Amino acid sequence: MTTAGAPRRDRRPRYDERMFSIMNNREADALYATVARRRVAVAVHVVLTVASVVTGVGVYVTGRTWLAIVLIALILPWCVATGVINGATRGLLELRTHVLDERQLAERDRVRARANRLTTYLLAGAVIGVAVCAWTGQVPTGNLLAPVLVAVFVAHWLMPMWVAGLAARDEPEEGLEAL
Amino acid sequence: MSEQVHNRLAMVRAERKVSRQALAEAVGVHYQTIGYIERGQYNPSLDLALRVAEFFDLPVEALFSLRPFRPLTDEVYGRNK
Repeated sequence: MTTAGAPRRDRRPRYDERMFSIMNNREADALYATVARRRVAVAVHVVLTVASVVTGVGVYVTGRTWLAIVLIALILPWCVATGVINGATRGLLELRTHVLDERQLAERDRVRARANRLTTYLLAGAVIGVAVCAWTGQVPTGNLLAPVLVAVFVAHWLMPMWVAGLAARDEPEEGLEAL
Repeated sequence: MSEQVHNRLAMVRAERKVSRQALAEAVGVHYQTIGYIERGQYNPSLDLALRVAEFFDLPVEALFSLRPFRPLTDEVYGRNK
């Protein structure tokens, strides 16, 4: 056996090494070992994101201090849920391109394409929703603009992570791995 | 065009007593990629297939094929089924 075709990872900058080891830390494997657990992690992340956005808009609109404390309390578990999804995907969307291999790059492209499609539908829904509100005159369009833009921006930002979390596959079974 | 590339990677890896991690590091990919190739969930590029073959010092056709491999015992003992 030869060692030609050498590990390209040997020449990675320290930042990439650190990120790679964080994203591939297997200590929390149990949290995302099955499809069901990954779905729960993504669902929790979506719920926490929606709650954070609603609270954030509430802080902006009402200016109440206690809502800001609620927002901070929501962001902490949100960060944990983000870590769980990143662990499940082994940092597919967080690691830089030159750290990923050909299979991961292909997967990342698929995830981004699917997320782009979903975000397009969401944007279309937002446009139609705002247009209907403007047409019926139930809510002033000016009041809708900021929350809708924030919601759509957050969805656009996080959709790839949700898609990647749902698309992540189980670890290849052990067996020969024990060698 | 064949949709799946068949491979004997798991068998050769077991025979040579090479872990997924060791093979992955040697050919410069993530260890999960080796697992996905073994499970037929990912078809490697020609470049990666050649690197894996080079690592095992085998011709690439000994590891990868467009048609399913015959069981090794059949090949060794000459059964023609």
